[in-house]
Amino acid sequence: MADFETSDDDYYGDDSLDGLDQEEDDLLWTPQRTPSSASKVITRASLLAAQREDLKRVTEMLTLKEHHARTLLIHHRWDVERLLAVLVEKGRDRLFTEAGIPILDAAHQASARSTSSIMCNICMEDISPNDVTTMDCGHCFCNDCWTEHFIIKIKEGESRRVRCMAHKCNAICDEAIIRNLVSVKDPEVAERFERFLLESYIEDNGKVKWCPSVPHCGNAIRIDGDSYCEVECTCGLQFCFRCSSEAHSPCSCLMWELWIKKCKDESETVNWLTVHTKPCPKCHKPVEKNGGCNLVTCLCGQYFCWLCGGATGRDHTWTGIAGHSCGRYKSDHNKVAERAKRDLNRYMHYHNRYKAHMDSMKRENKLRETVQATIATSESKDDGFRDYSWVTNGLNRLFRSRRVLSYSYPFAFYMFGDDLFKDDMTEEERQLKQNLFEDQQQQLEVTVERLSKFIEEKFDKLPEDKVKEIRMHIINLTVLVDTCCKNMYECIENDLLGLLQSTTHSIAPYTSKGIERASELSVCPDSDQILNSSKANDDDAHDPSWVSSAPGTDSEPRSEGQVSCASLDDNGCSSRKRAREETLGSLLFDLNLPAEVA
Amino acid sequence: MQASRARLFKEYKEVQREKSVDPDIQLLCDDSNIFKWTALIKGPSETPYEGGVFQLAFAIPEQYPLLPPQVRFLTKIFHPNVHFKTGEICLDILKNAWSPAWTLQSVCRAIIALMAHPEPDSPLNCDSGNLLRSGDLRGYQSMAKMYTRLAAMPKKG
Ligand SMILES: [Zn+2]
Ligand SMILES: [Zn+2]
Ligand SMILES: [Zn+2]
Ligand SMILES: [Zn+2]
Ligand SMILES: [Zn+2]
Ligand SMILES: [Zn+2]
Ligand SMILES: [Zn+2]
Repeated sequence: MADFETSDDDYYGDDSLDGLDQEEDDLLWTPQRTPSSASKVITRASLLAAQREDLKRVTEMLTLKEHHARTLLIHHRWDVERLLAVLVEKGRDRLFTEAGIPILDAAHQASARSTSSIMCNICMEDISPNDVTTMDCGHCFCNDCWTEHFIIKIKEGESRRVRCMAHKCNAICDEAIIRNLVSVKDPEVAERFERFLLESYIEDNGKVKWCPSVPHCGNAIRIDGDSYCEVECTCGLQFCFRCSSEAHSPCSCLMWELWIKKCKDESETVNWLTVHTKPCPKCHKPVEKNGGCNLVTCLCGQYFCWLCGGATGRDHTWTGIAGHSCGRYKSDHNKVAERAKRDLNRYMHYHNRYKAHMDSMKRENKLRETVQATIATSESKDDGFRDYSWVTNGLNRLFRSRRVLSYSYPFAFYMFGDDLFKDDMTEEERQLKQNLFEDQQQQLEVTVERLSKFIEEKFDKLPEDKVKEIRMHIINLTVLVDTCCKNMYECIENDLLGLLQSTTHSIAPYTSKGIERASELSVCPDSDQILNSSKANDDDAHDPSWVSSAPGTDSEPRSEGQVSCASLDDNGCSSRKRAREETLGSLLFDLNLPAEVA
Repeated sequence: MQASRARLFKEYKEVQREKSVDPDIQLLCDDSNIFKWTALIKGPSETPYEGGVFQLAFAIPEQYPLLPPQVRFLTKIFHPNVHFKTGEICLDILKNAWSPAWTLQSVCRAIIALMAHPEPDSPLNCDSGNLLRSGDLRGYQSMAKMYTRLAAMPKKG
């Protein structure tokens, strides 16, 4: 990107084409996504590992049990930095009690264990000490009561914060105990619990969002920096990270939401009808005014007054209807009608341009194939000696800027309209800023159209020198369009949104290289569990030993990682995976379906 | 649900045994339905409810004691946390602060405590809540006393 800026000057009217090295850099855009992109895609297979990474950091840093680390992380929305800040600021005890982790020493309670039967305070039965469980907080109840309590809480959707049954005890129950007890009684609920815990990493996490694709690709995206950004999932969908709708920069999320709504609910058509027609007082059908005078006739034969809508007789003069007087509302009527008409015209102006660029984008999408074919024939002609990357680069630039251009119209509609910032600017200021912006917008528009025109040329049919000329134009315009986009964004950020007094309105910044595709999360295989989960990703790693360790098949305490990752494996890709899905039966969750809250 | 039945039966036996222990509370189980109970509680002393006997109705869910019972006053009572028309009670332990360790007996005790210490900030009876919040303790007390006399005391003569 930096290259573009410094070499802009060389570009204008310079035939030397020394911009080629930048174009090579541009080449990297589409096919190869840099592995270090700021956003990461979290797949069904890597979700567990991603979660474990954070869990591991916290367990190691604070030396505590994993379920306590999870409780802390859920409480702090998976923000490790914030959690550590609280630790420093308020101390360990406060950090723990606020999140619902008892500070009580486990050894402390162990001594209290008795050998005779214990009365459970819930069911009021005397229970053998083998059938009761003491939670970290020291409260002890029978396993049946605990189990029922857990099932109710999980069904209520409280999996992430199941509290102890004792009165006023704030402690969050040990997930391993929940898992063990519930899976014996109701494996389906246990599965739901597992899934809720796992998805907490996505749903309670400010830096992670589900990809909004429909049907859902199963992925989530984790971002590294500012949440005002646009991302591309590996499934190809580009979306706004903040509002999860389609990428809409330079519109802000609010503008986009308003715009979509405006386009959808045909309120404008309704407006048009109210401006241009009135319901007949007899049959209630809309009647359009046809002539200059205020007496209108409906198809049903009813006469009525256009100004007030009241039924009248047919005797009238130019200024009045016999036996009818409503003149004093006339001016009001006209004002309202005029206003609605003006609003409608304004909307139409912006909408038409928005729509036109959207349509062009669709057309240009088809162009991609044609252009590729043209390149292919040209390459075959000159034995692949020549490099045609300038065409593909130009094409990519065209898509990107067409998009920006298209969304710049709803942006302008709200930026200079009455809906959002009426009180932020005086009328003169607004006019001034609108002119400033429209200059940028028009320059971009003109440049984009020129680029589009050159790219549509069938250069394979043209003589050598003509191709050379087109090539030069395309390379120049490619850079120029990028500069225009940059300038327009700069204008938006510095002169328009940046100067707002009453509100802060942010948009996803312009990226020269287009919306970055999230890269696969690389999992560091430094613990057994993580190793297992990365195996789940790998077709060849069908080690049956961990698949068979499903709940209830062995008494040894399993690591929960194994179960979940078996359950989380990608279903429905290869036949081998499908085969395993059958052996696992109901153990698999489908991350495409929402975990239901009963 | 066998578990809730068993637990209620235990509570029933406990109530029979402890009848004399807490003279302010009298819990009665419906003859034909163990999920329906009523209670008679005495208005706490040194409150406007003193001398009154208030009837409560319990509707117990099948998942009891994991879910709380529904309790309401059958006797009219002027209290900021009780709905004047329906008798509904606004008490945290009957909602999100419920713990399965509570019993019907302890719920009654909590309600008696609420009668003695109203919480005007979460009122179901806005009139009485407003009287209390605005500091008109005498106004609140005389209204509460009047309703206690009218509704919760045996009619004389
Ligand atoms: Zn029990
Ligand atoms: Zn506890
Ligand atoms: Zn996706
Ligand atoms: Zn958005
Ligand atoms: Zn008509
Ligand atoms: Zn006429
Ligand atoms: Zn009229």
